[in-house]
Amino acid sequence: MKRMIIPAIAVVLFYLEPVFGLFSPLDISGEYRFLIPRFLIMYLIFISIYYSRNRAMLYALLFGLLYDVFFIDIIGLYSFLYPLICLIASFIVKFIHQHLIVTTTLSLVLVAGLEFVLYQFFSLIGLTDISLAVFVRERLIPTMIANSIFLVVLGWAFKYVINARLLQRLNQPN
Amino acid sequence: MPHFFSNKRLILLLVGVIFLVALISFSLRDRDNASLPEQIIKDVVGFGQSIFSKPTQYITGVFDNVDALLNTYDENKRLKDRLEEFAKLQAEVNDLASENSRLRDIVDKQDDLRDYEPIQATVIARNPDQWEEKVILDKGEVHGVKKNMAILTAQGLIGKVVLTTPFTSTVELLSTQNPNYRVSAMVTGEKEVFGLIEGYDDERKELILKRIDSNIKIEKGQKIMSSGLGGIFPKGILIGEITEVSTDDFGLTKMAYIKPAADFALLDHVMIAKRTMTTVDGTDGDNSGTDEDEDAS
Repeated sequence: MKRMIIPAIAVVLFYLEPVFGLFSPLDISGEYRFLIPRFLIMYLIFISIYYSRNRAMLYALLFGLLYDVFFIDIIGLYSFLYPLICLIASFIVKFIHQHLIVTTTLSLVLVAGLEFVLYQFFSLIGLTDISLAVFVRERLIPTMIANSIFLVVLGWAFKYVINARLLQRLNQPN
Repeated sequence: MPHFFSNKRLILLLVGVIFLVALISFSLRDRDNASLPEQIIKDVVGFGQSIFSKPTQYITGVFDNVDALLNTYDENKRLKDRLEEFAKLQAEVNDLASENSRLRDIVDKQDDLRDYEPIQATVIARNPDQWEEKVILDKGEVHGVKKNMAILTAQGLIGKVVLTTPFTSTVELLSTQNPNYRVSAMVTGEKEVFGLIEGYDDERKELILKRIDSNIKIEKGQKIMSSGLGGIFPKGILIGEITEVSTDDFGLTKMAYIKPAADFALLDHVMIAKRTMTTVDGTDGDNSGTDEDEDAS
């Protein structure tokens, strides 16, 4: 039963993202602010740092594919970017101290990177024509604020769950 | 320092990139329908999604109700003022409706572009990355939803169906940047003036109505409704109100900025308009006819 807890949390986060997406865009004094929930990828980054890189990339591929098919109808975008981010995270973490504050910051930087790559991609295929300044003001900053609140509140819980699972796996190898 | 790119990883990455580009170009094509694996994934994920989104909507509904209660006094005062006016209007509308149906009987014309069967649907997800303006509804082909049907809320038109699976449907909102997205609309007034809703101004948060005959005078404040001449949408769904009129890039026709009547931000319950009259694939659909190359802007 406990084996399933890590994928189960990923599934819950996957479904929670669009639910939070329903509250966005926020209309603050006539200007829209887009809060884009990136809970799942932050959780996957944590898995990749604290648990297992390969497992994280597998989940990333799977959920990326679901995300592509269900939400954006462009297959191959998230299913490529999610594993790539997990890979980068596991690569960077070899050089830094695995303290919770450091990994939280790393996750947020990677999410900002993801947002930026997506912005470039969607400008490239012509689905959006907003300027970089508007992108930063309306999307990037609100998104990063919302996601950092989420991660600061729940980051320790992610770490706790992953560590518990890791200990359990070490104690009873099967 | 460990090598980030070992040979095996490099090959994997290259294969991945090629695969990605191939898949993206496959899915960016204008596809008529979702492929079977996609439909299955969409239905399964959609089922899970509705389990998560229904309780959320219940909770936000409670908050909305509390909010509504707090405003009751002010609202009541305002509504009472308008009640008298409304009764008069209602009588007039009833009179006109009965007259209309009598006249229809006389000329023996049964079909009306305005008639539609509403299908009630719930928004179960909004595309969380919000680059494309898409929402997903919990009604699909088995409920009679077809591609290109109009989606409306109590305030007005919000979008149209772009993809259906047996149990879900994907809706692209009017606020999209997609250049192939158009809706046949009309300016209401003493004389109806036709135009096409093409494009959305992101800065002004307003729709753009193009191809209006430049000989006809239109003014700020006039209401825009769907014309029903695009082949799929019923006639008379409110779209918005003109805020500015100008000439288009070539100076041949007029264009107008339209403030949408419906709010695209917080969507929960919507209606899918299934037109009772025969539908054809006109400007509301994919058949953009001969004027596809005219889009210079």
